[in-house]
Amino acid sequence: MPPDSPEASKKFPCREMLQKILDGDATPEQQQQFKAHMDECLPCLKGYELEMAIKALLKTKCNGNGAPPDLIEKIKKQISQNTPLH
Amino acid sequence: MEENSNQQYSESEKHRIFHSEFMPHINSMHNFAYRLTLDADDSSDLVQDTYLKAYRFIDSFQQGTNAKAWLFRILKNSFINDYRKKSKEPSKVDYQEVETYYNSDDVNRQITPDLRVEALQDMIGDEISNALNSLEVDFRTVIILCDLEGFKYDEMAKILDIPIGTVRSRLHRARNLLKEKLTDYARKMGYKNT
Repeated sequence: MPPDSPEASKKFPCREMLQKILDGDATPEQQQQFKAHMDECLPCLKGYELEMAIKALLKTKCNGNGAPPDLIEKIKKQISQNTPLH
Repeated sequence: MEENSNQQYSESEKHRIFHSEFMPHINSMHNFAYRLTLDADDSSDLVQDTYLKAYRFIDSFQQGTNAKAWLFRILKNSFINDYRKKSKEPSKVDYQEVETYYNSDDVNRQITPDLRVEALQDMIGDEISNALNSLEVDFRTVIILCDLEGFKYDEMAKILDIPIGTVRSRLHRARNLLKEKLTDYARKMGYKNT
């Protein structure tokens, strides 16, 4: 259908909304709308679950092991002496 | 760094701000530095340089504003100015291409026809980390800022010095590229047309 037809404008903007949700930019109303939409749209539900699984995997696997303790000590020491190297 | 609203902190205030507002972010900063440089020594040097700069320019930090975003911006600028030059990273993303991609019909294609949640759950090793690290640095960066650190569009726009629309389109493209990499891993793990 042509993008400017009345049907197209009525269609729920799935992709746009999913990205807003993933990016943390959706309002509570939009989140609610998307949730309701997923109840009747399997591709959107699948897409959402996949994206959330990737996000969860990123958080558990890509957060690093923390800064090395000697680095923390080095920085604190330089600041306490108030003599930055550069 | 914004120079237009400088304060003048006393030495004790500087130390207090540094230790109570800046140091708590060191683990996130170190992870960001590592994901940018992909080198343990470079990432430690980059974090150290960033914290020393932050201390030196502490008068341009306004209390009550987002210290983490302020620090991330300094780290990102230090990386571009001091580290990116000497690294072998390919040149920047072709932003024109990104915008064109975002505005094209590709956006409407079916989400990830080849990747399933089950395949992701079997990725218990370094697959996701390798996939993330293999992305071009500008795409890697937006994923880290959004998905790992939880920054919003406007904060990312400030950290990266790009318009919000570019943040949005770059994130969209980055997510698709990451899914393509993960799909490759899933295929190698034996998931066929999952």
